[in-house]
Amino acid sequence: MRSVHPAIIIGSYGWDADRLPRDEFQLRISELNRLMDERGWKAMLIHGDARDHGLLAYFTNFIPRLRWAMALVPRHGEPRLLISMSSRDMPAMKPMTWIADVRTGWDWAGGFDQWLAGLADEGDVGLGTIGFDVISADLFRAVERSLGNRFHLDDATPLLPRERRLRPRELSLTRDAALAVEGAAAAILRTWRAGGGNEAAALAGEREARAKAAQDVRTLTSLDRGLSVSPFQGRLAERVDPLLAYVAVQDSGFWGELFVSASVRPNPLRERAEAGLAAALAAMVPGALARDIFARATGAMAPYPLHPVLSASIGRRIGVSLDEGGVLQSASDARLEPGSVYALHVGGIDPAQGGAIVSAMVALTPRGAEILCRSPSDQSG
Amino acid sequence: MVSGEGRLAATARYLEERGLDALVAFNNGQNSFLESNAVFVLSGVRPIGESAVLVDRTGTASLIVTPAWDEARAAAQSRTQTAIGADDLPAALGHTLKAHRVDSSKLVTVGLGTLGLALVRRIEAALGGTPPAQDDFTRNLARVRAPEELEAARKATWIAERGYERMLEFVRPGMREFELAAELYCCMKELGAEDNFLLVSASQHNLAVRAAGRRMLDAGDIILSEITPCYRGQYAQICRTTVIGEPGAALAEKYALLQDAMRRGQEAALPGARVRDVCKTIDDCFRAAGYGDFCKPPFMRVRGHGLGVTSDRPGDLTADSDTMLEEGMVFVMHPNQYLPETGYMMCGEPVVITPGGAEALSQRMATLDAVPA
Repeated sequence: MRSVHPAIIIGSYGWDADRLPRDEFQLRISELNRLMDERGWKAMLIHGDARDHGLLAYFTNFIPRLRWAMALVPRHGEPRLLISMSSRDMPAMKPMTWIADVRTGWDWAGGFDQWLAGLADEGDVGLGTIGFDVISADLFRAVERSLGNRFHLDDATPLLPRERRLRPRELSLTRDAALAVEGAAAAILRTWRAGGGNEAAALAGEREARAKAAQDVRTLTSLDRGLSVSPFQGRLAERVDPLLAYVAVQDSGFWGELFVSASVRPNPLRERAEAGLAAALAAMVPGALARDIFARATGAMAPYPLHPVLSASIGRRIGVSLDEGGVLQSASDARLEPGSVYALHVGGIDPAQGGAIVSAMVALTPRGAEILCRSPSDQSG
Repeated sequence: MVSGEGRLAATARYLEERGLDALVAFNNGQNSFLESNAVFVLSGVRPIGESAVLVDRTGTASLIVTPAWDEARAAAQSRTQTAIGADDLPAALGHTLKAHRVDSSKLVTVGLGTLGLALVRRIEAALGGTPPAQDDFTRNLARVRAPEELEAARKATWIAERGYERMLEFVRPGMREFELAAELYCCMKELGAEDNFLLVSASQHNLAVRAAGRRMLDAGDIILSEITPCYRGQYAQICRTTVIGEPGAALAEKYALLQDAMRRGQEAALPGARVRDVCKTIDDCFRAAGYGDFCKPPFMRVRGHGLGVTSDRPGDLTADSDTMLEEGMVFVMHPNQYLPETGYMMCGEPVVITPGGAEALSQRMATLDAVPA
């Protein structure tokens, strides 16, 4: 789910070499080395910004708190990370990455041009790019000016694996994120059940996660009986039944997300959403077709239509970004692979009852599906 | 001073005078507290994703927001005549250009270059080329806050001050920086802050302020806080310095330098004054005390800056800025400074330019505060 992007990502975050050691990044960078060898590229440029940084984080562990960052990874030699912050801020940025050469991106001549000169060669030099689909046009122009006619860029993003099997250490971090979001979701339900307003409940969930060192927290809340969701509006005292809230928590680089639905009255719509989620979970096995899972979930939801905020999907992969692809839609012909983690969201709307969505996060392992977390049960609903 | 609604009319006049059909302003969905958000300036909506506002020469305006499901919120808040939710911004923009009967050879853009490259290429295809950019148009249009925006900036400042009061009550040695930041952030959100550029960090000898980490607070620490809540699109920033335990006489004496620089900077910031002259006034306070060599990076960055998301004017307060201050401009003035004896210290207030100088929006000016060790 998308939410209003904050001015800065304020949570605590650093490279935990104990849990993601240097060899993890050597394995990841070997993907790039293979591509550089195959394509004859001398280096890769990996761009990410505060909002879209999944691949940058995957290869560098660095997540820009604001603006952008770019990793310059040569086939031979040490990588460099340019960050769009002042040189004074660099000491605070260095602990967020395994890359030793961290520099301000504001000194373009010293940071980028000088590095580029080190690649100088006879003739046309090829460079692979990652994440350049979201690079700002202004920054791209600066890159183009520096490249001149000595270098050319090739988009490497489509050549990267569409899906990666999580290694045990990555799955372990994902479990932590799932636990963090489950705690936040429980706090939301608890606060609402205690009589709190819908936004006050969402804030309680956010507080729970932030107090436990969450790196980032996003919430959306409904103030129209679950028919839609909105970013924070400052209407904390407003209590609306049913409750529909969304919370996402990033912890040590990995995301977890859940919807929370509750009502003080019996809620047949929520029951159908639960049935839809259960049907989807039962079908989440390696090799399953994405469209079949979608059909099972929406079939069990009948007669209610899928909730519009789900954008005609019941889930996708989740990891270092909230959207890792693999969307589960009516026409998705992809098969589920072991080693992936999916966020599932199933729910609908009804003019009389409002809206309800329930969620789960599932890891697909060779032994089957492991439910990492799910929406808190609304006992009194 | 142009009101929010007046900005659409002013845009229409601009187009009429230049024989243009339309202006299309874009935003990339990122909310920099240092920059103008052209979509917010024209529509009053802070979008979730990439978005655009089209204003034609009659003053009729359409807002396009992504994702599609955000349409109802956008429609309720927008001052444009229509608000459209879409998952495909270029396609929706193409339809909107047709609906407004715009000749795409007669339009200008604001902020297109801030969008992602793939999206820009699709938008340019929809527009049939790359229209001329007028990227400074909206930040200049909104360089003086409208009355309702100034009111919101005052409320944001009030929230910042309550947040800092909460910090003085809450902070104690043994607490980790992130725990303090979490409490401050949530406390200010409870008071209505929809966003917050919040930096809180501590050291026995600070080099700069940074985002909160896992460092445990200790007696003798100097806590730096840059508290920047956003209320209804208006960021306001206060900069504070807090000691855990009794501050020494040297620290108090040096902090007084920052306070003096702040007072003198406020007096110098008269309508018509140049930013560089205000900075010189501030720097002179440090020069007189023998710290002239420290009036440059990395010992300080700027003496203040504009505040988004309406307009970032007057920009960074630097010694080479020729920008002229105007009555009603709102920005933060902060003579934050590294001194070798004390480390980095912070002192700053959001101000509005008045005929008498820069009036602080805060009720209590920064002092060197102390909390029990």
